[in-house]
Amino acid sequence: MAPSEQSNAEELMSAYLDHELDAKESEEFEAMLASSPEAKEELDDLRQMLQLVSTLPEVEAPPDFYDKVARKIRRRKILEGDLPVFVTLPFQVISVIVVLAIAVVYTMIHLDADPAARLEKDPSAKVKAPEEASAAGEAAEAAEAGEASAGEGSAPQP
Amino acid sequence: MSGVSDGEAVADDPGEGSADVGEGEGEGEELTPEAARRLEQDRRDRILVRRLKSGDERAFQELVQTYQNRVFGLILRMIGNRQEAEDLAQDVFLTVYRAIGSYRGEGRFYTWLYRIASNTCKNRIKYLKGRHFNTRLDVDDHAEAQMPSGEGGALHSIQSQIPGPEATLEGNRIQRAIQRELAALEEDHRLLIVLRDIEGLSYQDIQGITGLPAGTVKSRLHRARIALKERLKPHLR
Repeated sequence: MAPSEQSNAEELMSAYLDHELDAKESEEFEAMLASSPEAKEELDDLRQMLQLVSTLPEVEAPPDFYDKVARKIRRRKILEGDLPVFVTLPFQVISVIVVLAIAVVYTMIHLDADPAARLEKDPSAKVKAPEEASAAGEAAEAAEAGEASAGEGSAPQP
Repeated sequence: MSGVSDGEAVADDPGEGSADVGEGEGEGEELTPEAARRLEQDRRDRILVRRLKSGDERAFQELVQTYQNRVFGLILRMIGNRQEAEDLAQDVFLTVYRAIGSYRGEGRFYTWLYRIASNTCKNRIKYLKGRHFNTRLDVDDHAEAQMPSGEGGALHSIQSQIPGPEATLEGNRIQRAIQRELAALEEDHRLLIVLRDIEGLSYQDIQGITGLPAGTVKSRLHRARIALKERLKPHLR
């Protein structure tokens, strides 16, 4: 068989297997098969091989495939200066940071509003407070006593 | 990054125009279910691409989720290593995201996508060859995990042919053999077998993806099949 004929026969065999020949071409090819046991055997072997290959299972990408692609795109954008750095962090990490920030702000506000907590926050205030209170009390008592004695001393003599 | 530059991987829009539309898919003709499905897919792709070009990030997510299994499958069969394939498939979509502006929307979108994927594979294989890297064939290590959810997948068809408790083992063994022999083929032959016999693409689509003339696709595919048949002979009945 001349090389061009052989090449044509090759094309025909694969196209025949793939149902890519029109009716006339198929007929001609089948006539050729009938006269060539080698070609028929080859065709049968190829059919078996294709059947075997077709049993390969379909493949699935990992479930987080899109997330990884999106992360790669964000990282690339950062490198090109299109996005701020924190945007490249994974969503879960950003969520944790936001929750922690809210918790800290809330705690600060709560501490400032609650006197007991304020004392806890500043232990020195706890020590000072009674002293200041007793000193203030003593000063008040002394003032009262002073006023009383002055009153007595300045009273008009009968 | 996996050693593939965007510039190398991006496939120019071949600008095939309506020549990409297969026979029997023209208006007014009765469509086969397969042709109707493809037309519907093309319509959806056009809408997604338009949305993506106008900056809709959600459209990109839909696009990735539509094609991730097919792109990952193609690369996995070409490269043979799951981790490497995942990394490359991510790069393919990264390239799509960056190059969508250059896609003129004339040919079928998935033809353009597959062209990017096959170029990415070729570049990677060349890179690995240069480093004498031996790809580990772990494709079938997790055959069950690769099954489409809700379906038995083709492995079940092997298992159903082989009765008894050894069905799974035997099915896995055959799959490993196919993948091993596939990996041993020349890269051009492997690509054609994967596109046609595993991914089930038409000759016209393969011409669009590889840029080869029709006659070359047919004769090269035939030679690829003969080569694989010889290698798989011990497994043929």
